[in-house]
Amino acid sequence: MQKMSGCFTLHTAVLRGALRGASSLQNRARTGPAAAAGLRLASSAAPREGKAAIIESTEEYKFVERLIPASRVPEPPKHAGPAPSGWIPPAETPPALPYMIRRSRMHNVPVYTDLTHGNRKMTLVRKVEGDIWALEKDVREYLKEVTGKELPTQVNEVTMTLKVKGHFDQELKDWLTSKGF
Amino acid sequence: MSVTKNSGGKALDVLKTLPRITLANLRPEPGSKKADKRRGRGQHGGNRSGRGHKGERQRGTRPRLGFEGGQTPFYLVIPKYGFNEGHSRRPQYQPLTLKRLQYLIDLGRVDPTQPIDLTQLVNARGVTIQPLKRDYGVQLVDEGADIFAAKINIEVQRASEGAIAAIERNGGVITTSFYDPISLGILIKPVCFFMRGQPIPRRMLPAENMVPYYVSAENRGYLADPEEIQQARRALAQKYGYALPDISKDELYHMLAMRKDVRQIFFGLSPGWVVNMAEKKILKPTDEKLLKYYSS
Repeated sequence: MQKMSGCFTLHTAVLRGALRGASSLQNRARTGPAAAAGLRLASSAAPREGKAAIIESTEEYKFVERLIPASRVPEPPKHAGPAPSGWIPPAETPPALPYMIRRSRMHNVPVYTDLTHGNRKMTLVRKVEGDIWALEKDVREYLKEVTGKELPTQVNEVTMTLKVKGHFDQELKDWLTSKGF
Repeated sequence: MSVTKNSGGKALDVLKTLPRITLANLRPEPGSKKADKRRGRGQHGGNRSGRGHKGERQRGTRPRLGFEGGQTPFYLVIPKYGFNEGHSRRPQYQPLTLKRLQYLIDLGRVDPTQPIDLTQLVNARGVTIQPLKRDYGVQLVDEGADIFAAKINIEVQRASEGAIAAIERNGGVITTSFYDPISLGILIKPVCFFMRGQPIPRRMLPAENMVPYYVSAENRGYLADPEEIQQARRALAQKYGYALPDISKDELYHMLAMRKDVRQIFFGLSPGWVVNMAEKKILKPTDEKLLKYYSS
């Protein structure tokens, strides 16, 4: 018996039925589960009657398939420009620069803030490919324009990451998305 | 490709031309190693070793932290009050902002063309629910109501007025419904439950103190009267100053009108059914008493 009520008008009947069911549930509680348990024991002991006590069906299995989680991160749908939430897709062709910054597996720009010892603020740019020193130079100049300060930076050529002192994740994310990364 | 991978880079090139590293060539970065402060080693033998002159300070017999010399200390003057009393019996609802919901829809993790359920949100890793930590579900919060622009059929456990207004303004449908802790555990991990081989249980009705919330039309409760809900939709549109779109003329009306039965946990699957995932079959009971029990 399928229970998918598709109409609002059916809902009132179901509501009244449910409330009636709730009020009489206490009376039925003692008999219902006990009777069901007795029945289950009887059917598992010996199928005397021989009647099929179970219907097998494959039509509603599509509802089960809807409940199974995806095993891979889905590709985002095409957006013309920024999405309503503020997410900006990467450019169709990578920009013509000596370096490249890949998107994370969740399709976001890999710029993160770090806070150690409670007071040491850093910004980390990960997943850099190509000439990391050119990126470091550009980042230093851009942040000099934005803040007016000469910020210390650290390049790690083995992990291809760039660290900048201070929290500049929003500025760097906007700057990288404007470049098309 | 203009971009070439050069692991190690310029540092590695320089290192290859420098002389061999030996113990004689190594030195810490200037300023990284600071000498420890050692007490009692100052001029004239350090004298009191930084402990001061006589008294409890020098002799190390100071009283406990919080002691105020005999005056009733601060932490005893202030009376006790049950702020956290019964905290482990209070239902909690994980917040979900409209901004995050819009982000999930934009990235294709949540499908707006199907009814959005707590299962869909958890499968998209949009929220994390812990039923064992007294979580009773998810609550919709109206942060990001001004940027929200998606027409969806969503079912949550609690919702703020602003969130309801934002969803209905875009032509969507929102319902608040109750899941008891066992049903919630099944809802967020359906595959684990199906592997157990047990029949889908009935969802329990809310406790006495929660019934008023789910019966009122202002909260779009699943036990509320549909006519009252229509009136509440119009009233909210008037309050927030937007034109209420007519969803009955929408092409997705069938999807937007889909709602679960009061005792149903999953869309399309009735209580009492057993799901066989290995053979992709559903087993349904035919016994009268079982059917009567599961349909009550």
